[in-house]
Amino acid sequence: MTALLPGLPPSLPILGGGIALLLLCIAWRRSEARAILIALATLLLAFASLWWPLLPWPGDPTGMLFVPDGWFTYIAALILLSSAATMIMAWRETGTSSDEFYLLLLLGTLGALVMAGSADMVIFFLGLETLSLSLLGLIAWHRTHPTADEAAIKYLILAGLSSAILLFGLALSYAESGSLRFAAPSLDGQEGPALPLAATALVLTGLFFKLSAVPFHTWLPDVMEGAPTPVASFIAVTSKIALFAALARYFAGADLLRPDAAGTELAIVAVLSMFGGNLLALGQSNLKRLLAGSSIAHVGYLLLALLSPGPFGLASAAVYLAAYAAATSGAFAALGGASVPADIAGWRGMFRRRPALALAMAIMLISLAGIPPAIGFFAKTYIVIAGVSARRIVLLVALVASSIIGLYYYLNVVRAMMEPLPEEHRAARGTPANAGLIAILAIVTVLAGLFPETLVRQTHSLLQPTPIMRQASLRPAAPHDILYRE
Amino acid sequence: MIALPALILLPAAGGLAAWLSDRDRQASSLSWWVAITTILLQALLLLFITCTAGWGHGPWLAHFSVPWIPALGIAARMDMDGLSLVMLWLTTLLSFPCVILSARDVGERPGLFHLLLLATIAGINGVFLATDLFLFFFFWELMLVPMYVLILQWGHEDRRRAAIKFFLFTQGSGLLMLVAILGLVILHQHATGILTFDYFALADTPLMPTAAMVLMLGFFIAFAVKLPVVPLHVWLPDTHTQAPTAGSVLLAGILLKTGGYGLIRFVVLLFPEAAARFAPMALALGVAGILYGAWLSLAQDDIKRLIAYSSVSHLGFVLLGIFSGSPMGMRGAVVQMVAHGLSTGALFVIAGSLQDRLHTRDMRRMGGLWQALPHLSSVGLFFAIASLGLPGMGNFVGEFLTLLATWRVSPPMAILGTAGLVLSAVYSLTMVGRAFVGPPHAGQGATHAPPPADFGPRQMTVLGLTMALLLVLGTYPQPVLDLSLPAPAHAAPQTEVPRP
Repeated sequence: MTALLPGLPPSLPILGGGIALLLLCIAWRRSEARAILIALATLLLAFASLWWPLLPWPGDPTGMLFVPDGWFTYIAALILLSSAATMIMAWRETGTSSDEFYLLLLLGTLGALVMAGSADMVIFFLGLETLSLSLLGLIAWHRTHPTADEAAIKYLILAGLSSAILLFGLALSYAESGSLRFAAPSLDGQEGPALPLAATALVLTGLFFKLSAVPFHTWLPDVMEGAPTPVASFIAVTSKIALFAALARYFAGADLLRPDAAGTELAIVAVLSMFGGNLLALGQSNLKRLLAGSSIAHVGYLLLALLSPGPFGLASAAVYLAAYAAATSGAFAALGGASVPADIAGWRGMFRRRPALALAMAIMLISLAGIPPAIGFFAKTYIVIAGVSARRIVLLVALVASSIIGLYYYLNVVRAMMEPLPEEHRAARGTPANAGLIAILAIVTVLAGLFPETLVRQTHSLLQPTPIMRQASLRPAAPHDILYRE
Repeated sequence: MIALPALILLPAAGGLAAWLSDRDRQASSLSWWVAITTILLQALLLLFITCTAGWGHGPWLAHFSVPWIPALGIAARMDMDGLSLVMLWLTTLLSFPCVILSARDVGERPGLFHLLLLATIAGINGVFLATDLFLFFFFWELMLVPMYVLILQWGHEDRRRAAIKFFLFTQGSGLLMLVAILGLVILHQHATGILTFDYFALADTPLMPTAAMVLMLGFFIAFAVKLPVVPLHVWLPDTHTQAPTAGSVLLAGILLKTGGYGLIRFVVLLFPEAAARFAPMALALGVAGILYGAWLSLAQDDIKRLIAYSSVSHLGFVLLGIFSGSPMGMRGAVVQMVAHGLSTGALFVIAGSLQDRLHTRDMRRMGGLWQALPHLSSVGLFFAIASLGLPGMGNFVGEFLTLLATWRVSPPMAILGTAGLVLSAVYSLTMVGRAFVGPPHAGQGATHAPPPADFGPRQMTVLGLTMALLLVLGTYPQPVLDLSLPAPAHAAPQTEVPRP
């Protein structure tokens, strides 16, 4: 098998086996407890196998279909953990719990892992479609809700459209280079830059659709509102991590500091996402839609890290992904566990009703806003370090300005939670369903913020996804900035 | 010295203890006792630090350092010089009135109140000690969150808007400072190849004049928002007016001083050349603040708003002193900060007490309070006079020194600044005239059938001690003057300072 699929990380067959086992179990006899047990065990096994490779990774992606390098290992760990968090969220969530739910989640996780580790366009596309199709089922899980149908249809159409665009871009890229390597085509080809440019633009458009970067973001708030809370978390966290990892891999060999079209497009989308996401979240009264806006803005911050190559660029993106995953999963877990409507009015007075839950939610929001002592503060600082060191002045200004907008709506939720409550609501108390998960995520968010050294060392060593290169095109950046002394 | 981080951990731990002691919401005084014990312990700890500091071994008195995020050159490094010591003492002394006199407006959930109060104090102590720029920024941001919640939960009628305004202004300018800090760090890395956030290493960064100016402005804006300097002051009147009494005291007394401290430590000492070039602009801004704040104070009916605008005016002198470029001006600025902390803190206590008793801050509805509240009114008169700069009080020393130092640089600025003093006499005395003396307000006797209670012994003791401190500062300012010259950034304490 290893000869057929060179570089195959063992976590992929483990997930595949888990899915097959789950299918068999469902065919045999339905039991939700057994389903979640099998699903979680599969994730755990896959997680363990990340540090136990089938074959030693030779370090050279030539001729490989997968690249199980340090970047993949880190991203896969994040994907598996966040997907486990989603499953725990779904457990006992009224109405969503059924065997196939976990099956689809496992399938989506498999797709995400394939995407993050692929070195080949076809493999990448297979992973993407696996994720998209399982997401479709998950989004429409509440079949009786009209919003679920609307969300699923919206997702189906836009996912199909963006897949088509992406596929066209991949085809153009193949036409230009005759290679199926998953990497941005070089602009220095003999035919002139038009074909590779078109290919890159189309691939980027497809990826941005799935990543919901502005201006390709309009589907996300509706879909997240209509989907069950755990699925919304899966879209916002797991799927975005995988897509961002693939995007980083796609540009791993390219020099993004060159003022060419791809870099410019990325920069424009980054700025638009920061402002668009934050402004979108600003006007929301529904917490799910607010988190959708916030996740769009965080894509913008991540793009800033991607656009800042150098010693800190992707290391800071890796830390930020972890911080984002912990805080966003935690916020959705708190939303799901609260069993109140997900609008801000429903959360009013939460500090009186359920102080622990409100505290956890406040920690998550503070982390997303980038306020100490939560990990989000350090992660944002790290991204700014990367941006400053790559001299991305315009992007940094955008980050600062849009972060201030972000502060307003995050704190607005905290403020609503602190407001006093009308007397009749006082009695409603109780522990949320997934209290353990929320507590763990809150503790991780604070502890990692106070002691980020471990995380930094982890990400420092993996630095860059291994570039899948056709030819070396690394050139030093020109020291042109006035800020620098000769 | 291990006692330096203890100065941050102690209030934090005490705050948590106060919070936990109040979980059942029955023993409301228990958290108060915990808080009082905590700040008493803090005072003792600071006394211990003062006694065991390395006096006579150079300008830096104490040092503490452990690695925090070594991969990025970040350490939990703290150093204390005379300036830090003065500021720490001011914080410790002002936390007493905050805790002792706030019992009235705590109301529901005293545990949370004391947790937030002590957490803010912990953050402020951290700001005054940190000499690692990342650590400094960490504390700088950390002290805002509890303050925000404090205003939001215990503030007055328009607290929501005031709290969010406060937070957005300070946090937004903080992000600018973050970019400036990182810019400096990266430039240092390019020049030397070492990635570090250490204050003393960064002070030696070779910088082009333009780069130094840009970075200096990044720091300046953040501190100018906090101080506040005039075009950036708009958050202050609302926040001060809406904050609960303890919050106002904390804000005016200490939190604003972190701006002045930052200007000295991280603007003038870190970028001396750029600061010198920027000085004329800063002096102009200082004078503008003095005159503008005083002018607006004259027009206020809300007593807390009046005090808030007078803060803008008084802190203009701090800016003058810091940017006058002479040790004398620097010393004057520090004395002015201490004196303003004491006198304005006390004035906010008085304004808060008036609001508690009369349920209004509007001076049009006060008047003739001297008959009903003789103690409160006489204390009010004292601090109003102190705040207008009567010789013999600390404020006079500060204003005199800063104006003298400014005169040497630019006589016109000094003359304009002195004009602000005249205005301050007018608004201070007008406030006394409208609130305490003069005819009683017509509706007052009818609406308050029992006359409002005067200051009790508790308030009188606290405020009496504050008065004594102001008088000592005014008549014998030499110890503060000796201490307050900041240690240069280039004289880094390499190792633990030997204890005597």
